[in-house]
Amino acid sequence: MKPCIASFGILLLVVLSVLNTTGQTHGTLKFTLIHTANGKPVELNTTTYNTPNGEEYTIKKLRYYFSNFKFPGNPTLEDADNYQLIDQARSTSFSIPVLPGKYTHIEWLLGIDSLRHCSGAQEGALDPMNDMFWTWNTGYVVFKLDGTSTSSTADRNRIEHHIGGFRFGQNVSTPLSFELPNDRPLEITAGKTTEITLHLNLDRYWKSKETILIARESVCTVPDALARKIASNFPYLFEIEDIKVHEN
Amino acid sequence: MKINARIAYTGALFLVVLCGAGLMKPTPRTLKVPEGWPAPNKNLFSKNPLTEEGFQLGRKLFHDGNLSKDGYVSCASCHQQFAGFSTFDHDVSHGVNNTFTTRNAPTLANMAWHSAFHWDGGVNHIEVQAVSPITAHNEMGETLENVIAKLNADSSYPPLFKAAFGNETINSQRLLKALAQYTGSLVSANSKYDKVKRGEAIFSNVEQKGYEIFKAHCATCHKEPLFTDLTYRNNGLPLNRFNDVGRMAITGKKEDSLKFKVPTLRNIQVSYPYMHDGSIFSIPQVIDHYSGGIQKDQYTLDPVLKNGIAITQRQKYELMYFLFTLTDSTFLKDPAYGMPTY
Ligand code: HEC
Ligand code: HEC
Repeated sequence: MKPCIASFGILLLVVLSVLNTTGQTHGTLKFTLIHTANGKPVELNTTTYNTPNGEEYTIKKLRYYFSNFKFPGNPTLEDADNYQLIDQARSTSFSIPVLPGKYTHIEWLLGIDSLRHCSGAQEGALDPMNDMFWTWNTGYVVFKLDGTSTSSTADRNRIEHHIGGFRFGQNVSTPLSFELPNDRPLEITAGKTTEITLHLNLDRYWKSKETILIARESVCTVPDALARKIASNFPYLFEIEDIKVHEN
Repeated sequence: MKINARIAYTGALFLVVLCGAGLMKPTPRTLKVPEGWPAPNKNLFSKNPLTEEGFQLGRKLFHDGNLSKDGYVSCASCHQQFAGFSTFDHDVSHGVNNTFTTRNAPTLANMAWHSAFHWDGGVNHIEVQAVSPITAHNEMGETLENVIAKLNADSSYPPLFKAAFGNETINSQRLLKALAQYTGSLVSANSKYDKVKRGEAIFSNVEQKGYEIFKAHCATCHKEPLFTDLTYRNNGLPLNRFNDVGRMAITGKKEDSLKFKVPTLRNIQVSYPYMHDGSIFSIPQVIDHYSGGIQKDQYTLDPVLKNGIAITQRQKYELMYFLFTLTDSTFLKDPAYGMPTY
């Protein structure tokens, strides 16, 4: 009788652990960010870069939000943590749970939706302690680039770009949308991690749709027309460099 | 009265202790909406269910100087209960290290009916409002990280957070939600005016005449029963020494220049000085402003005030006596809103 119970117990354990690995209902999508400026990897404080407009600068802070990940035409995981803060100094990769499938279209917001801007005290990536929150005019800085430049006419040659604004007519959060070839879709498998390597090319921040001159536009800390001008370069900043499925 | 307060304190303490011991779930608390009033802002507590424990924690935090850098400046030092939760007798308020704010501390009555905060409405939710005074260099001058560390180090707090939120974790969100439960619960609706409305008292002749003048000239903006219509308007004050353009700084629109949120007139007798910069010191002077001091060349001046308000000396005093009927001494002395003893 006793050995019977024991072996039943072992069987149960085995069954449970098998269920545990195969019973996963979702896969993991890991984003790894690579930041470059002027062809070089971004390093805070120590390296000098040139913008495509010929102005030299250093970077002290580089932070931005991603949110609202979607696969158009497909259901999304309800409990996926939808708000991510990417910070050159602290964290340049994050993972979100995704329903298994083959996706040829992925979309998310560079920034934060206006609804969440109006929902009171938040935690995690949106905790006001993350130094990305405006207190006098409620709202998040959705993209922060601080540094110095000899071209800057501001106090101590600073560059202070705190790009934010969510109210009607002030919105800077920008949808990023990527189509993938049908024969090379983004494949998410239950229990596995798919890694997407994204390249942020800061050159495009200074020059793509609009030309941003440090000499003229070194400081932007309110949700004004300059913030919107800078944000009109947001759709051009990122490129998918690589997609890989990890066996784990 | 005294004994009642004692009992209330002991009761509250008992509740808090019980919950600290994990024996109880937080006790729901309801915001009492006075009869005949509009519905409060439904977003206020939608993600922050009002509870007795949450309110009591917020009340303690509101009165705690440790939320500031130097340990002295609490929310209550600028928002004093006896002054209707404004700063008594100060045009602008003191912050840490002998700094001054650039605006007059508003009264905090009936916040639950507001959907935007500060004189310019720049803050869009009561929960995030407190980040502003805690971190402003000329108010409490502190960081949220430090406040959380100090609260963790004070043994009285973890049990109170547990009672209010289920475990002892102290984070910025809980701190802000607790403060919002307290400030959002401050309801002033028991002045003589309210008693008259409820049929429990009658106005004197002078007050009644003042009320008629009020309805004719002031009530469009200072709308009953909140005594504010919660819109942004320019009532003709000059641009002040801080070049404070009010609402325009938030919307970026020229047509919002010099507009400020219409303040409530409840407890106006005790909340002097007046206006967003505390530039007017007494009620007669406020009335003089409306009758003769309006800056008529401002393009955003409210159309209602284009011609000023013609008021005789006699009417001025009648109006003043009516405004005094908005003083709610129950609210100003209610121990349930006061400095806690735990
Ligand atoms: C140094 C003085 C000072 C301190 C300390 C202070 N406040 Fe204030 N409070 C003000 C001033 C001044 C304003 C108006 C701000 C503005 O319009 O820009 C204000 C506005 C407010 C408002 C909005 C009122 C309205 O009608 O829109 C609330 C709510 C509030 N404070 C709550 C708090 C809380 C909670 C604390 C503590 C965490 C606090 N205050 C600490 C001075 C202070
Ligand atoms: C056109 C709208 C409007 C009308 C009409 C109006 N007010 Fe005001 N009132 C305001 C605004 C806006 C403020 C805040 C102005 C500021 O600080 O810049 C204010 C401020 C006040 C204040 C100061 C309150 C405080 O807490 O600082 C008092 C008192 C006051 N009004 C009384 C009156 C009286 C009495 C009348 C009628 C004679 C009146 N108001 C008519 C819009 C109006």
